[in-house]
Amino acid sequence: MTGFRVIKGGILSLVQDTGRLRYQHLGVTRGGPLDAKSASWANRLLDNDPDAAVIEITAGGLELESRTQIMVAVTGGDLNLTLNGEPQPPWRSFWVRQGDRLKFATPRYGFRAYLAVSGGFQTTPILGSRATVQRDHLGGVDGKGSALKAGDELPCGHLQEETLSREIPMQYLPEISQDLVLHLIPGYQQHEFSKEAWQTLWHNEYTLSQNSNRMGARLEGMEIATPNKTFLSEGVSYGAVQVPANGQPIIMLEDRQTLGGYPKLGNILPLDGFRLAQCMPGAKIRFKPMSLAEGQQQMRRYLRFFGL
Amino acid sequence: MNKKAKVSEHSGNAENVRDTSRVETPKRPQPTFVNAGVDALLMQFGQELDPCMPGFLASIRAAIIAELSDVVYEVVPSYASLLVYYEPRAVRTYDLEQALETIAEQTPWLCSPWSADAEAPGKLVEVPIYYYQPDDAIEENDMARVCEQSGLSFDEVVAIHSGRDYQVYALGFAPGFAYLGALDERIQLPRLANPRKNIAAGSVGIAEGQTAVYPQESPGGWNILGFSPFVWFDVNGHANGNVDKNTPAQQAALTPVQVGDRIRFKPMSKSAYEQAKAKFFAQQGDST
Repeated sequence: MTGFRVIKGGILSLVQDTGRLRYQHLGVTRGGPLDAKSASWANRLLDNDPDAAVIEITAGGLELESRTQIMVAVTGGDLNLTLNGEPQPPWRSFWVRQGDRLKFATPRYGFRAYLAVSGGFQTTPILGSRATVQRDHLGGVDGKGSALKAGDELPCGHLQEETLSREIPMQYLPEISQDLVLHLIPGYQQHEFSKEAWQTLWHNEYTLSQNSNRMGARLEGMEIATPNKTFLSEGVSYGAVQVPANGQPIIMLEDRQTLGGYPKLGNILPLDGFRLAQCMPGAKIRFKPMSLAEGQQQMRRYLRFFGL
Repeated sequence: MNKKAKVSEHSGNAENVRDTSRVETPKRPQPTFVNAGVDALLMQFGQELDPCMPGFLASIRAAIIAELSDVVYEVVPSYASLLVYYEPRAVRTYDLEQALETIAEQTPWLCSPWSADAEAPGKLVEVPIYYYQPDDAIEENDMARVCEQSGLSFDEVVAIHSGRDYQVYALGFAPGFAYLGALDERIQLPRLANPRKNIAAGSVGIAEGQTAVYPQESPGGWNILGFSPFVWFDVNGHANGNVDKNTPAQQAALTPVQVGDRIRFKPMSKSAYEQAKAKFFAQQGDST
């Protein structure tokens, strides 16, 4: 079988596609790339289906050896990628031959890179998706939710000949910043939070915590007063901003649990969540309100653009 | 758990108001809607833990999937709510609310959760359990503390825990993790102050008004009473021999229970437990 051999797995490298849809009612987490827009761009550069599987490389360290020849594309944060030791700028597609080595080092800017190949990685889908959800032990390179490690084989296709290299026009490159404003669409228990709690949220800067992961981005900063009562657990959607009793908000991401009972202020705009995925721990976060109509308009444009 | 009913009674329509006051449907809940981001609506039916709710929500969910499949792609039930994920390019949020409200109005409120009627929406599933003796040397055995904190003997705890049927209120936390209720008040205990980093698969826990079995090894803060070899989630769709052809295709018999079903714990002997446990972990080893 053709594909790539993993030489080093890196800090956290995961097979991802658009996620395991339609099983959340059984407690199955959706998964998917945290910076879905960058992942979409990687597939777009190769004319792949929008749900073709890519590799999400968090913070670098992944090293692959090619056992095929194929077009690849790398987007997202700049993790100082080299091809056979030569620096390889991101946000473009390029040709990889048998025996070539791709090596992601440490972040220059951003935090997560996306590697796509023509036709997508052909790992075995589990419940209709190749997405890796470690906590659920589902999907990914072994079907059991494992991250990439040395010795793994990543199957993919083989091209007879090189195709034209493409890059993404400058104006489409996302701004990657460690100083981010997140647009929040109020919802869920918005009316249960006091006026003071909302003022605290709008007027303070929060720091992205070291303890953040694919389940949630944990923020640290001025304590937000929580409603003085408990709520029954309910379905938790992407970007929900929940506030546990310690007053420190957690933004729920792709690997979130399907249900949760903490009070929630609403949800951030997914496009902002994608930018948040490129923030390193320590990044500065502020919140700004957004109407549902405005948020939906922006998302419709995004979904239409990528044919999602 | 907040026990106070907060069900919104207003509906703005005189006929409906009369309907909700009728004897046979004294508490029929009306939905309220809140946004849950750009592509999800939370449809809430109050904040009360109500044994009639799971079956009602399961019926509404099935109707939504049948009638609105062109705009709704996923519906996640919980205790008293449905999270409805929709395609924001295919429907306006307000129109979706109207459609969901209509479905809720047309769904019968069949408040007979404990009926043995085969036509009732939920099925009854027996789950074998071995209750740990207070002195069983098992890492996460909390039986001694449960007895002490509840002031009950081991036999009493076992009789109380296995003495009633439980509703499946929700599936969540992990694939196939079923939140079961309501637990008898005499054995209601808070979650552990310091959750364990690792709880073995098959552990049966209690926390406040709920009980559940951990389907896979995971962290957790519930008080552990025993072990069950029951398989709650099978990615190949063979959970405990489930070959239910009537389950919708997208559920594919991955879990032997659904929200709205009922669970009855059936105590097992120590020797049966030891055999079942060995088999259970051998299978776990095969699949993970």
